[in-house]
Amino acid sequence: MPAPRQPDQRASALIASYEAAGYARVEPAILQPAEPFLDLSGEDIRRRMLILTDAASNELCLRPDLTIPVARDYLASPAAGQPAKYCYLGPVFRDHGAGSAELLQAGIESFGRADKAAADAETVALALEATARFGLTVPDVRMGDVGLFAALLGSLQLAPAWQRRLIKDFNRKTTLAHDLERLALGPGTRPEYHGVLAALANSDPAAAHAFVTDLLSIAGISTVGGRSVGEIADRFLEQSALGAATLPRDTRTLIERFLSVTGDPPAAAKVLRTLARDAGVALEPALDAFEERSVLLAKRGLDLRAITFATAFGRGFDYYTGMVFELHDRAGRSDGQLVAGGRYDGLPARLGGVSVPAVGFAVWIERLAAIGGER
Amino acid sequence: MSRLVLAVPSKGRLQENAESFLGRAGLKLVQPRGAREYRGTIDGYEGIEVAYLSAAEITQQLGQGAVHFGITGEDLVREMIPQADRKVVLIEGLGFGHANVVVAVPQAWIDVRNMADLDDVATAFRHKRDRRMRVATKYVNLTRDFFAAHGVADYRIVESPGATEGAPAAGTAELIVDITSTGATLAANGLKVIEDGTILRSQANLVAARTADWSDDVRAIARVMLDRIAAHLRARAYREVRTRFQGCDEKLLAAARKRFGVESPFGGPTSSGMLTLHCPPREIHALAAFLREHGAQAVVIADIDYVFTAENALYTRLADAIG
Repeated sequence: MPAPRQPDQRASALIASYEAAGYARVEPAILQPAEPFLDLSGEDIRRRMLILTDAASNELCLRPDLTIPVARDYLASPAAGQPAKYCYLGPVFRDHGAGSAELLQAGIESFGRADKAAADAETVALALEATARFGLTVPDVRMGDVGLFAALLGSLQLAPAWQRRLIKDFNRKTTLAHDLERLALGPGTRPEYHGVLAALANSDPAAAHAFVTDLLSIAGISTVGGRSVGEIADRFLEQSALGAATLPRDTRTLIERFLSVTGDPPAAAKVLRTLARDAGVALEPALDAFEERSVLLAKRGLDLRAITFATAFGRGFDYYTGMVFELHDRAGRSDGQLVAGGRYDGLPARLGGVSVPAVGFAVWIERLAAIGGER
Repeated sequence: MSRLVLAVPSKGRLQENAESFLGRAGLKLVQPRGAREYRGTIDGYEGIEVAYLSAAEITQQLGQGAVHFGITGEDLVREMIPQADRKVVLIEGLGFGHANVVVAVPQAWIDVRNMADLDDVATAFRHKRDRRMRVATKYVNLTRDFFAAHGVADYRIVESPGATEGAPAAGTAELIVDITSTGATLAANGLKVIEDGTILRSQANLVAARTADWSDDVRAIARVMLDRIAAHLRARAYREVRTRFQGCDEKLLAAARKRFGVESPFGGPTSSGMLTLHCPPREIHALAAFLREHGAQAVVIADIDYVFTAENALYTRLADAIG
């Protein structure tokens, strides 16, 4: 019989310090509905989830992370919509095909704070406390800001279809390059639609709707599943508009230059300001917020030069809306990140709750303990 | 002496096809105590035990190394066994149980032709409806890998153990990933296959488990069994063509190889011009005409029962996999 597992005292001390900083300790249920995780993280997470089915065929899972359970409990509580700060220490379950699927995670989640830059800075500072507890005082800090990319796209007057697509593919870097290529190629890439698109050029939605209805009836298709005739018509209109407008070469170059910016935050901000001014795009509000956060990080004693910021850095999850970061071991002794998190303002509403700002991170305790050596 | 365990499907068309395939290969299945018995033997082969299981169970047991060989669809192998190529080896496709795993959408989606369209529509759908498009399927892993390879992210899988093609009409999913052989069932349900949406072209395979217990006894019997199957497969793929005429020479043989894909199992023509060829069935008439044009008085074409060769390609494939 294995002896009862003693929690790592450094982990206990860490969670105590988060409690002392005003984060209430919570212990969400280990058994969770699978739906929210699949809906928010996408099907790719399913292979790593431990899913079970109850007698009524509902899909349940052993929680693969704690951010979503903490957010769900917060949204179901009377505090929903109000500022609230939580911390946790407990197991999460991820199937990696080898080794134990049970991992210990600590972390914090902060909801409802309007002073986003200050909340971001506090979050990063508390994340660094985690690595410091395990003897890692100068981890490799990698940072990005999903909000900057969204602001850039918003200021470029791209067709909505392309904007959607580029934001989605920002999290999947291989397809982003492909998107930019297709954008620059423009018409001629979809010859199979030319007839329909030409017929629809400059139509209004009502005319397009009638046109698609006619097409369907000519083809003898009576049942429309999943999407309405209006949606199909709208997409044809959108495609028709897209076909006419290619992405100007300098816009593509601008996006590529933007995505190649990397350096410490002050240096990156400087390059981005120049870039925005030269191109005449309005990135100022996003950059002001970015620099405010840098100032507050410095005030908390962080050495900004130790942070590697990259505009292309993302964490692969599309619920992040602003700052994202990961802490790694500089000596490369761990395969993955030691701490990771960011701002996910979009998540509470996507869970069906109120729309509130949210920021937090998770700490991989075993990875840190392995690097930090015996206590 | 340890026995080789061969798992064969216990019911349906797959069972009939597997049984007749093995029978034609000279491996006659014997179910000693009637059709309800789940263990059988092969007539004349003491060392082989036959396990009657469902195709899904066969696949699972192959993945676990609980049986040595099994006959099952490649679709199930790819879907049910993680990192399948490390656990099993597909020895040979058997020429039956053909079916494609495809992505199918409502026919009314006239704006969706390929996976790039589907990607775009899925993203738009999510922005508009605030939920992901649902894909009904029993092929969860195949779907996920295929969609990921095409950059499609905004979807959810709804597991559907049966009658998947009815899901879009029933409103429980927007599209499906399912198996189809002719496409007729999909069309009857108002669905169409996406142009580049064929995930896998599947057929029944003879599959070997890498992690089964391959003792020397079992290897010896596997070699005999695979020899029979290889001899049958080779025989099935060809017709035997015999002729004799002057002017039948190496040059003519080279031309016949190139044009009709013939093999000459006993080498070139004898000094008296005797020649035996193996020819793919679809080319026999063209070959017969070709040979007569070059002087043959008579060309005799016959079915072949077995072609045993010195080299046993199927056993080599197994030996390479199990080391």
